[in-house]
Amino acid sequence: MTVVAAGSALPLASRAALSTPFAFELEPPSGDRAEFVEWMVNNRGEDRSFLGQRWDRLQIMVDHKDVWDDAVKRAFLLTPREEFVPHRNRSHAYDHNFLDIGFGVTISGPHLVGRMTNSLELKRGDKVLEIGTGSGYQSSFLAHLTDRCYSVEIIKPLAARTRGVYDALIARGYGEFANVTTKSGDGYYGWEEFAPFDKIIVTCGIDHVPPPLLQQLQPQGVMLVPIGPPGAQRVLKIVKGVEADGSTHIARTDIYNGRIVPFVPFKKLDGDKISGTHNG
Amino acid sequence: MYKGGELNCGARLYIAVGLQAGAVIALQIAVMRIFAVGNWAHFGSFIVSIAMLGVGISSTVMCVRQPWFERHWRGVASGALLAFGPVAVGANLLAQQLPFNAIFLIADDSQKWRLAGNFLLYLLPFFTGSLFLGTVFLKTRQRFARIYFADLVGCGLCGLATLGGMWLFATDQLILIPLMLWLAAGLAWAATLGSARVLMALIAASVVAFSAQTWVADSVGLTRLAVSEYKGVSYARRFPDAKRVYARATPFGQLEIYASSYLHFAPGLSDNAALNLPEMPDNAYLGLYIDGDGPLGIIRDLPPAQTAYFDYLPTALPFVLKQDADVFVVQFGGGLSTASALNKGARSVTVADSNPAVLAAFRSDAFLREFTGDLLAKPRVKVVGQDGRVFLSRTANRYDVVDLSLADSAGLSNPGGFAVAEKYNYTREAMQVYMRALKDGGILAVTLWNKEEPPKSVLRLYATMVAAARAMGEADIERCFFVTSNYLSTATVLYQRGGFTAEQVATLKARVHALSFDEIQAPGTHSDAHAADRVIAAYRAQIFGRLPAAGDASVPSEDDTSGGDDDFGAETGAAPTVMPSVALARAAWQALLSDEWPKIADSYVYDLHALTNQRPYFAAYLRPADLPRVLDRLDLLQDEWGYLLVWATLLIACCAGAVLIALPAIFGWRGLLARCPGKAGTLLYFACLGAAYIMVEVVLISHFILALSNATVSATVLITGMLVFSGCGSLCAERYLDSARRVMPLVFIAIAALLLGYGLCIDRALDLVGALPYGWRLPCCFLLILPPAFLMGMPMPTGMTWLARLGKEQMFLWAWGVNGCMSVIGAALVPLLATSFGLSSALILAGLLYLLALPAFHALLRPLTPPATV
Repeated sequence: MTVVAAGSALPLASRAALSTPFAFELEPPSGDRAEFVEWMVNNRGEDRSFLGQRWDRLQIMVDHKDVWDDAVKRAFLLTPREEFVPHRNRSHAYDHNFLDIGFGVTISGPHLVGRMTNSLELKRGDKVLEIGTGSGYQSSFLAHLTDRCYSVEIIKPLAARTRGVYDALIARGYGEFANVTTKSGDGYYGWEEFAPFDKIIVTCGIDHVPPPLLQQLQPQGVMLVPIGPPGAQRVLKIVKGVEADGSTHIARTDIYNGRIVPFVPFKKLDGDKISGTHNG
Repeated sequence: MYKGGELNCGARLYIAVGLQAGAVIALQIAVMRIFAVGNWAHFGSFIVSIAMLGVGISSTVMCVRQPWFERHWRGVASGALLAFGPVAVGANLLAQQLPFNAIFLIADDSQKWRLAGNFLLYLLPFFTGSLFLGTVFLKTRQRFARIYFADLVGCGLCGLATLGGMWLFATDQLILIPLMLWLAAGLAWAATLGSARVLMALIAASVVAFSAQTWVADSVGLTRLAVSEYKGVSYARRFPDAKRVYARATPFGQLEIYASSYLHFAPGLSDNAALNLPEMPDNAYLGLYIDGDGPLGIIRDLPPAQTAYFDYLPTALPFVLKQDADVFVVQFGGGLSTASALNKGARSVTVADSNPAVLAAFRSDAFLREFTGDLLAKPRVKVVGQDGRVFLSRTANRYDVVDLSLADSAGLSNPGGFAVAEKYNYTREAMQVYMRALKDGGILAVTLWNKEEPPKSVLRLYATMVAAARAMGEADIERCFFVTSNYLSTATVLYQRGGFTAEQVATLKARVHALSFDEIQAPGTHSDAHAADRVIAAYRAQIFGRLPAAGDASVPSEDDTSGGDDDFGAETGAAPTVMPSVALARAAWQALLSDEWPKIADSYVYDLHALTNQRPYFAAYLRPADLPRVLDRLDLLQDEWGYLLVWATLLIACCAGAVLIALPAIFGWRGLLARCPGKAGTLLYFACLGAAYIMVEVVLISHFILALSNATVSATVLITGMLVFSGCGSLCAERYLDSARRVMPLVFIAIAALLLGYGLCIDRALDLVGALPYGWRLPCCFLLILPPAFLMGMPMPTGMTWLARLGKEQMFLWAWGVNGCMSVIGAALVPLLATSFGLSSALILAGLLYLLALPAFHALLRPLTPPATV
């Protein structure tokens, strides 16, 4: 088993710092598309085209109620999703659909990731465990909300590849990804060394909720488990409650409160208004 | 270049035709198996469509350029035959380097091109095969009945040989079977022509084909079978410590078993296990994969101290009431139910499985025997080497517990779709069989995955089990059922013959509470029957395209902090105290027990009919009328993609068929075909035959699983029986050619009567056959196939030969193409008819099509119009 503390793969000296490094207080403009793009270009040195797509996708997600918390909206705007998508699919990074990332693994669509992240109700300082690092996008999103993210990936080469993505981004100055500590291993057993966790997010298929994960979840903690095929997933939400008499009980709901995963209509932005249709 | 000349209709030619037709069938089966192992379905209708499209294209080309083909028949037939082997190997190797994944068709543009590439590549060998057969048919049209006999019998016997060959060849080398058949066909063809040049060319082509498939592919590093990274077995192979401990290629699927510490199974485990169990057993499982799908968990023979978690599985529920029980496990699978029953102190456990390869693995493999503690040889275990449903239907034994737990599903995320497959173990009739096999007070326990939202499979199961109990004549049905589920996990229905006592109900309630499962139905407990209306209205609004409301109730609202009294949280935005699907399931049981079920079933978003032997499907939930409303959101309906694929195939087949049928008409209606009267009737005649024949074959394959318990065996029996008996019918038809006007109407009426009778009675007959020992079932099935298959072999050669006799050569080729195109449409129609109206509807429609062919036959017999004289 290989445990990699975030950012350890490259020496600090080799990192090219962004003009404005990440801080939890960092607030990109959230009221105007052009201002946001300009600010991000100047402060984070990112690509204008992707920034525009990121902004547009967020407006649809907000309209669709997939994100509703300001901190989560900000985290979405600061996370360069295109960096976690294989090059061949990069032009589709901000599409609604899930995408193939190799190894029989997908990166979920932004709406689902947004909804899951918001449903976790993360606070700064929360300790969160992710089972199934995959592309790394989910934990990079979380890293903008808390500085204690732990992620386990069962597929060793994928874990190594994603670690490489993180390290390269850290080297470019994305210091927030130092908040993510990763390892390759069997996520079924959680990560005892850093337990207990305030929140756990599972992103791989299993026929039951692993007892070790429930055991490593704090009282009042929340665990999310996507179930079903990509694109038609339900996301089970488990809350580990504590009764007045001190006994523990586990409640199951899902992040849509039992409603079907809402259909995301094809639509596009015209300025700041949603109009027309396209799958973008 | 060979030109002109006549073709000697001797035994060598018949052998060549039979073997080459068999090679085409064998290639279809091999490609289906390659898709089944490498992708998420066998794409049967897709492959059949490609093969028949090959027929359609070749016949169209030949029809339009018939004189040229008449002149160059030797070169065309020999060239097409010689090309078949190398083209088949090359197309398959190239297609495997171009794998596609249907789940990314929407997200990834390149997938559409990959799919198109696969389609075109696999079309090539079927085109060459059809071109050879078409050319031979053209040259032997005066004796078509005999050549058609060879074609059908060759297909039937070679199909049988291919299925037998699956014991010998791994799936990635299965294509060697059609290659060997092709080589034999080529030798017979060379002998027919007496041509050393053809023989030399054949040897060269064979060297190319066989070497490309074997050492060239290896040395260049070409994969012969690309397994999708999304198959269950692909994940297992990537586990760092994964080790394949068993592999066997069989006609019942390619079995692989992997060992890894990363494999964990506990289907439906209560969350409370985490609060009470110190740890789960380590390295306790193997993963069983069939055709790469799975895993099914195989559990190690654990010491009693490590088996406490069995108490937290839904399979343990009946043992809360039944100690020292005689247990029957309907489907053994990976053995979890059997291990659970033994662990719960069962006196005896009788296990069955419809897949003999699984039982054979557990009984014969030394590693598996040691790992499982020789589970099947334990003194308390008795093995029934056949399908549990069939066994129970004829045994006099009675059991305390009959278990049907998650028999057909690994239950993990399934990227792809679910094929439209018959689930006879879950039909109303099967449930009655299980219920009858219970002792007084015995319990039938059925557990199903409950991971759908809106729920559909579990609702069909509930409707089916209540229908079965009613058919059993239970006086107080409500007392007979106790139902529990775990949200987004499993649902378990317990049926007790004679009804649960109040004390038993209390015991079960306490156990369910201890597991934190939801109580769905318990005798004496009533829930809000009106809840269904609200939930269904919400489901309909959401799934059929309402845009998200401004105030999505599942998002906490800053303005709304009131509690409200809506326990679904629909008004408040709070998490509901009762999940909508749970409330719906409770209301559904209220309705099922009080005869108000039709109201719910009719208004629900999905079709919720009970499973019967006529409609044995956990598939096709979308009503056809609702399809247009969901076409823009298919990515939300991935578990319906198997069903939607059939619709897509039908649509494509109709378009392709229309084009191919129309082309000769466009080019020749006023020219080449101008002198052929009765064109429309001829078209109708062969369209009816093409569609009806394949419909009967496909639907009987589904029907005969009832008696033969296994889809592979059923397909073998039907392909062989239908084609061989039809071949005999074709041979017999030759004797009645001169009296066809008198005899054929009787034949059509007899076929229609037989198909109608089969439609009404076949499932009862197959139930009876299924109760016989297996050795008797096969001949009985062949006997059942014989009458319609024999008669159905007569119309095609009779029509074709008469076209030839009347000098309608273009019509002769066109008819063959029309027949092929309509075969594709017929094959795609069967699952759509079966899921909507029942399997028998396809038989009855086929019977009507044969009746429709009767008047069309007379149009076909109209003689040529003499050419106008100047």
